[in-house]
Amino acid sequence: MSASAFYVYCIAESSIATQLAVDSLPAAIEDDAKLEWVTVNTLAALVSQVPRETYSEDSLAEHLTDATWTAIRAMRHETVVEYVAKRASAVPLRFGSIYLERAGIEKMLTEKGRELEEIIEHLRGREEWGVNVYCDRSVLLSSITSVSPVLRELVERAEQAPPGQSYLMQKKIGSLRVDEARTAVNRIIDQIEEKLKTQTDDARRLRILKVETTEHGELKAKFAFLVQRSGFEEFRDAAERLAQEHQAAGVRLELTGPWPVYNFVTGFSG
Amino acid sequence: MSASVDQITVIDEWESSDISLLETLDHVLNRGLVIAGEITISVADIDLIFVGLNVLVSSVETAHEVLRKHQME
Repeated sequence: MSASAFYVYCIAESSIATQLAVDSLPAAIEDDAKLEWVTVNTLAALVSQVPRETYSEDSLAEHLTDATWTAIRAMRHETVVEYVAKRASAVPLRFGSIYLERAGIEKMLTEKGRELEEIIEHLRGREEWGVNVYCDRSVLLSSITSVSPVLRELVERAEQAPPGQSYLMQKKIGSLRVDEARTAVNRIIDQIEEKLKTQTDDARRLRILKVETTEHGELKAKFAFLVQRSGFEEFRDAAERLAQEHQAAGVRLELTGPWPVYNFVTGFSG
Repeated sequence: MSASVDQITVIDEWESSDISLLETLDHVLNRGLVIAGEITISVADIDLIFVGLNVLVSSVETAHEVLRKHQME
C-alpha cells in the first residue's frame, strides 16, 4: 500500500503495547493491513494502515452512507478496542479518527501526552456499564390509578356521577393519568440514577436517538456508569433491587457491558 | 453470559441480538474520544450514519449478516 493513511483505534500505555503482541490482536478495520503500535515515550496508539483513497474525506463520507460497510467496520473497531480494554486501561477513540502520516500520530501523542496519561490513570481498573430503562406504558397507566389519591377519588366520583358528567370526568381521568404517569416515570428514572451513582465513580445520562420500543416497553432513559471491576457485583445487585422495586410500575432495567469507557473520555479537549 | 432475572436483563457478551449490535454501533459512532485527527467524521455526519444504521438493524436479517461477517474475522 503506497498511498495509505493511519486509522487510530485507541491509546494505551506503551508498557501494554509490548505485552500485547500485534500477532495476537484481532483483525484490523481493513483486511489487507495488520494492527500496529505507534509508541512515543509512555504512550502507544493502536493503529492500522488504510488505503488513503477510501479514507479520504470525500470518499469516506460516501462509504459511510452504506450502512453495511459502516456497520462491519464499526464492529471491527469495537472488537479491537474491546480486546485492549479487557487487558489494560485504554482510551477508546471514536470511529473514524484518521491520520495521513505516522508523524501526525506521534505529534498528537507528544502534545496531548499529559492529558492522555491522566485519563488512563483515571480509568484504571474501571469499565463502563450501560443501563437502559424501559417502561411498559399500559402497566404503568393501570398502576398509576391505584397509587394516586387524586385519581382514585376521581374514579370513585365518576362511578357515582350521572352519565353525561361521568363521561367528562372519564376524559379528565384519562389525561390526568397520562400526566401522573409521566411524572412517575421521571421520578423513578431520577431515583435509579441517584441510587446507581452512589455505587459508581461517574455517570452520564445519554440522549436517546430514536424512540425504541421493544418487548420491554419504550426506552425511557439511557445511562452510562463508570464502574470499578471490583465493585461490579454491588452495582449489579443495586440495579436488580431497583428493578424489583419499580416492577409494578412497568419499569424494566437492562444492563449492557462491560464496554470500553467510551462515555468517560469525551470531556477531553482533543 | 446473559443472566436474567424477571425484571432485569444483563447483556454482557456478543449475542446475535439486535440490541447489542445497535448498542455497539451507538457506542462506536457516537461516543469515544474525538481527537484532532487529520480526517475525522463530524458530529452531524455521525447522526446521519446512525439513522441509516438504525434502519439496517431494524432489518433483522441484515443485522445478522453483519454479525456473521464480523465473527468470521
